[in-house]
Amino acid sequence: MTEPATSPQPGAEAPRAEQAPDAILEVRGVVKRFGGVAAIDGAAFAVRRGSITALIGPNGAGKTTLFNVVTGFQRGDAGDVVYDGRSVFGRPAYALARRGMVRTFQITKALTAMPVIDNMTLAAPRQPGERILTLLARAPAARRREREVLVRAHELLETFGLREHADAYAGTLSGGQRKLLELARVLMAEPRLVLLDEPMAGVNPTLGARLLDHMHALRERDGMTFLFIEHDMDVVMGHSDRIVVMAEGKVIAEGDPAAVRADQRVIDAYLGSPGGTR
Amino acid sequence: MTVLAVSFDALTAADFWIGVGVLAGVYAIFTLGLQLNVGFTGIFNFGQAGFMAIGAYTMGILVVRAGWSMWAAMAASIVVAMTAGVLIGLPSLRLRADYFAIATIAFAEIVRYVAVNARGLTGGSQGLLGFDDAWLDVSDTILGWLPASVQDQFLLPLLIVVWLTVAVLTGLMMLLQRTPWGRVLRAIREDEDAARALGKNVYAYKLQSIAIAAALGAIAGWFLALNLAFIEPSSFEPLFTFIGFTILVLGGLASYLGVAIGALIMWTLLEATRFIDLPLAAEKVAALRFVIVGLALILLVALRPQGILGKRQEMVLHD
Repeated sequence: MTEPATSPQPGAEAPRAEQAPDAILEVRGVVKRFGGVAAIDGAAFAVRRGSITALIGPNGAGKTTLFNVVTGFQRGDAGDVVYDGRSVFGRPAYALARRGMVRTFQITKALTAMPVIDNMTLAAPRQPGERILTLLARAPAARRREREVLVRAHELLETFGLREHADAYAGTLSGGQRKLLELARVLMAEPRLVLLDEPMAGVNPTLGARLLDHMHALRERDGMTFLFIEHDMDVVMGHSDRIVVMAEGKVIAEGDPAAVRADQRVIDAYLGSPGGTR
Repeated sequence: MTVLAVSFDALTAADFWIGVGVLAGVYAIFTLGLQLNVGFTGIFNFGQAGFMAIGAYTMGILVVRAGWSMWAAMAASIVVAMTAGVLIGLPSLRLRADYFAIATIAFAEIVRYVAVNARGLTGGSQGLLGFDDAWLDVSDTILGWLPASVQDQFLLPLLIVVWLTVAVLTGLMMLLQRTPWGRVLRAIREDEDAARALGKNVYAYKLQSIAIAAALGAIAGWFLALNLAFIEPSSFEPLFTFIGFTILVLGGLASYLGVAIGALIMWTLLEATRFIDLPLAAEKVAALRFVIVGLALILLVALRPQGILGKRQEMVLHD
């Protein structure tokens, strides 16, 4: 995003970074090298609060690596990541998740040998029973929280059509159901920014359509922001309101779907000749 | 002509079974720690014998060399073992799982070599004696409550105390596993990146897991020392950690109840095979014991790969 950063927002905790007021996430000149190869080479873009933003680009463009650096799963070599007004570059992944930036993975990470319901309750924040030192001291609070969490988990499983599988091992679900479970589990974590790595890969069209419906509903109702990597151009053009295009570790274009579709650099690097959207 | 003769007299003697029972109980406590690490957290602790050594030696040294009461020394030994667990985990748990395995086995060997060489403190290979007076008083008291017919079984009180401890600790570990804390551990075992993505500080949980396993190892160390009334370095060879792993596989991964059953079977096999009477040299008979134990294990793994109480589903679904 090229608009100039505004002055620091007042009245906040210490390392407040300057950020455009409508941006929830800003990636600034991020570099990630593997040996001599720069997988990400100064990528920069912003994600607007409440938007559904797609991150596209050819294989090897650095999309997943960028996700890893943004979410703290890999350490970047240079640059900055500003999330919700604070620099989070180099912060550990679990700390970012607790602050509401929650991701999924290209290959679903359903916890297969755990029941579906445990997959869900696991993700809930603020559970005193998860800390060994407060486990006994705050046992009643832990039990109370567990009851709340169970109610919420069953609600979400109902919404995502997984209610009857609640007590089954997650490993017995189909690939598409696991994707749904992963999204439902992300919601248990009470996110504000959700990063989805190829949510539609390996999902049948019916389940895929349901996943997209959920995404739109969550944005409309809860103002949740989505950033997703996707290769299916119909999904990208039809469901995102902004698109970021990466190639060879750099962001080569950014804008709404119509603008990106018409951008000559994007056509050259990724989309191919006009009319031939893949 | 008898080629293979087993004297069954020994197997019907009460003192044989009491001996087996004490060792099984000690190794049940020992293996509860391995179960927490391997079965529920997915970290491979190959240094459990080292924690057992720290438990036994800290207790023995504080009593014999520093004049502490045995009870205070026992408590201190838990603290020392847990600290050691955290110190080993701090650098190695950040790395891949196999580095932790290597670091723990190296740690256990360092502890054992120190025990062999720091003669002024540990008695070296001569061993350490005279730390168990407080226990012998308790033991006599317990024996006094028991019927006259068992008064010659001087290890019976230890058997009772060890198995009460096994019962309490098994119960505690099962309860702990059912809490949200235990759920996070299971998630880490399944996929630590998924746990991290959901806001769990995986590193801190792994450190807690190893610290608790170390404490369990130390408790096993007390009872091993009291059983022999003697602490010597060869009781803490890596072999004993592997016996723990065998118990784990026998009883079934991710089952705390399986640990006690696995320990009983393992030590019955290990001790009963001592009585095989063959026209062979003693060291060949000793080697044959392990051949027989190995065959029994192969049979078990072939017939029941999930162990006696393990859940087959959890094993198959793990992808």
